[in-house]
Amino acid sequence: MRNMLVIFKKELFRVLTDKRLVLTVFILPGLSIFIIYTIIGTVVQTQFTEPEDYETKIYGENVPEAIVLAFDETMNYRFIEGGLTRDDLEEKLLEEEIDLAVIFAENFEERIAERDKQDLPDVTIYYNQGNQRSSSAHNRVSAVMRAYHESIIKDRLDDPADYHPYVLDTENIVDERSMAAQGFAMLLPMLIIIFLFVGAMSIGPDAIAGEKERGTIASLLVTPTKRRDIALGKVTSAALLSLLSALSAFIGIILSLPRLMVADEAMPDISIYGAREFLAIFLLLVVTVIFIVGLISIISAYAKTIKEASMLITPFYLIAMIIGIMNSFGADVNHNPLVHLLPIYGPINMLSGILLFDYSITNFFITIAANIGYTALFVFVLNKMFDSEKMMFSR
Amino acid sequence: MTDLEVKNIKKTFRLSRKQRRIEHTDERKRIAVKGLSFTARRGEIYGLLGPNGAGKTTTLRCISTLIRPDEGDIFIDGKSVLKESIEVRKNIAFLTTELKLDDFFTPNYLFDYFSKLHGIDEETMEKRKAEQFNRFGIDKFAEVKVADLSSGMKQKTSLAISLVHDPDFIIFDEPTNGLDVLTARTVIDYLLEMRDAGKAIIISTHILSVVEKMCDRVGIIIDGELKISDDLDKVKALDANGDLEEVFFRLMEESAGELAHA
Ligand SMILES: Nc1ncnc2c1ncn2[C@@H]1O[C@H](COP(=O)(O)OP(=O)(O)O)[C@@H](O)[C@H]1O
Ligand SMILES: [Mg+2]
Repeated sequence: MRNMLVIFKKELFRVLTDKRLVLTVFILPGLSIFIIYTIIGTVVQTQFTEPEDYETKIYGENVPEAIVLAFDETMNYRFIEGGLTRDDLEEKLLEEEIDLAVIFAENFEERIAERDKQDLPDVTIYYNQGNQRSSSAHNRVSAVMRAYHESIIKDRLDDPADYHPYVLDTENIVDERSMAAQGFAMLLPMLIIIFLFVGAMSIGPDAIAGEKERGTIASLLVTPTKRRDIALGKVTSAALLSLLSALSAFIGIILSLPRLMVADEAMPDISIYGAREFLAIFLLLVVTVIFIVGLISIISAYAKTIKEASMLITPFYLIAMIIGIMNSFGADVNHNPLVHLLPIYGPINMLSGILLFDYSITNFFITIAANIGYTALFVFVLNKMFDSEKMMFSR
Repeated sequence: MTDLEVKNIKKTFRLSRKQRRIEHTDERKRIAVKGLSFTARRGEIYGLLGPNGAGKTTTLRCISTLIRPDEGDIFIDGKSVLKESIEVRKNIAFLTTELKLDDFFTPNYLFDYFSKLHGIDEETMEKRKAEQFNRFGIDKFAEVKVADLSSGMKQKTSLAISLVHDPDFIIFDEPTNGLDVLTARTVIDYLLEMRDAGKAIIISTHILSVVEKMCDRVGIIIDGELKISDDLDKVKALDANGDLEEVFFRLMEESAGELAHA
């Protein structure tokens, strides 16, 4: 037991005093998430908010006076009057030289007044959906056209009051808390699993396969240290370091949320969760991290080199990532108790449940117990592996 | 009770596919050590002399509890390496010139680390560290990372660190392999000093002069078998001119002859 602590301390010292490792394991995860999210947030924001002074370029033919007046009221635009062929016009739309074209039939208003049902006048609107500005011009022009349409119909009715057969009210009742919870449940579990894995992958292989590769393992094995202490010392230190690494990612996520969510009306606010949720999340993180670290340690004890270990871990990482992504886009929280016994999926599902305030205590403890069980098994196997000359000195 | 007794040990390795390819062989198994017995005593250096692949490293690893013999046993102060490995490890050191140190740490840190793994108290540790670092001239480099040490200094550090617990049994695989003359000299002198201090030392080597220079007793191992094990003088006396090289090559030829007959 004493030697477990000696090994534990040495592994912590190894990582915490290595500037390169501190950077990659503790600073980069948080920083990179923060930067990526901030960039995404900024891009999304500029997409949704158009600069005030943008002058929409509208091309028109035979545009009635009433429509021009309506345009003047609703937008800042520059009008280009006639003179283009259809081909030129389409090309200019594609090249974003104009944002929208509206072509009225000749003598449009006179023909409306004639009310000849056999020969209705056309209006054609051209726009380019691939261009954000064109789309928004299209929305505005459509609104103007709808209003114009209504005013014509109103004129034709005997009693203009007939135009309003009922009163329509729309009210958007949004529960800010549940919207925020949805946001967290979608994002966090996947990111947490990914970062726990990444953290564990940058520590476990070096601590175990690295000792084999460098040939330092013999010096350790020839000391009167129980193999169980070696296994426990390596796993607990890697678990603590991976947890810190995931914590860094977690802080990055929390700090960048305000930037990411500007586009949405309801910004997820982490304060919707109380101490109980945080404690539950923390416990889940701990058992998940020891599971992942246990798995990675066994693979690292089997591999002869750090490189081989990383290679063998990759498929497990991909599987975990796929489970995480499926959870992000998947449907509801699964309440089947058996599902909570599954590694990786169980904790991710439980994490979503906690974030959505939709979980049972029994299932929570099943998840915790299952992961502790798996880890105990891993440590047992690892202990056997350190004792196995085939694993330690194979050629 | 003999200080160290190797009793009829056998060790077979399963050859990996990769190894079969490298060695151009179809063998699935390799009998590395075929029923080996010898004894070693405190105050003596015992040398296992043999060509490459004879089974020297395998034998020394068995003695050091790193691998287990399939048959037979080894007793160190009467303790079995198979049944009391933890007890045995408290009083042995296993060294090779290939023994690597983690580049990231300093000699000072590593000395403390291994001392703690051996359960040595702080006071004893500091005292011994001062002695050993002074003895090998490591003091000035105590806080330099292993990566930045010269290869000679690395070897001396490795020696000091493997002996933090001042064990009675020192097992050293090819002690001068790959060392520059100066470092080799330091290592040999130190081992002689340790012998005079009453330690039991077992080395392996394929170099005749190493045996002549430092061993009190010698065992010649060829193809996993110990052909002879006796005082160096007696082994040399097998040749009319007292030439160890002659004795060695005669045994090599005999064993090649046996193989041809078999
Ligand atoms: N871990 C191992 N796996 C397979 N074969 C091995 C292993 N260790 C040693 N051998 C084989 O056993 C024989 C003896 O090797 P070794 O003890 O290293 O010889 P020496 O140290 O005398 O050169 C060699 O043929 C070697 O290939
Ligand atoms: Mg060898």
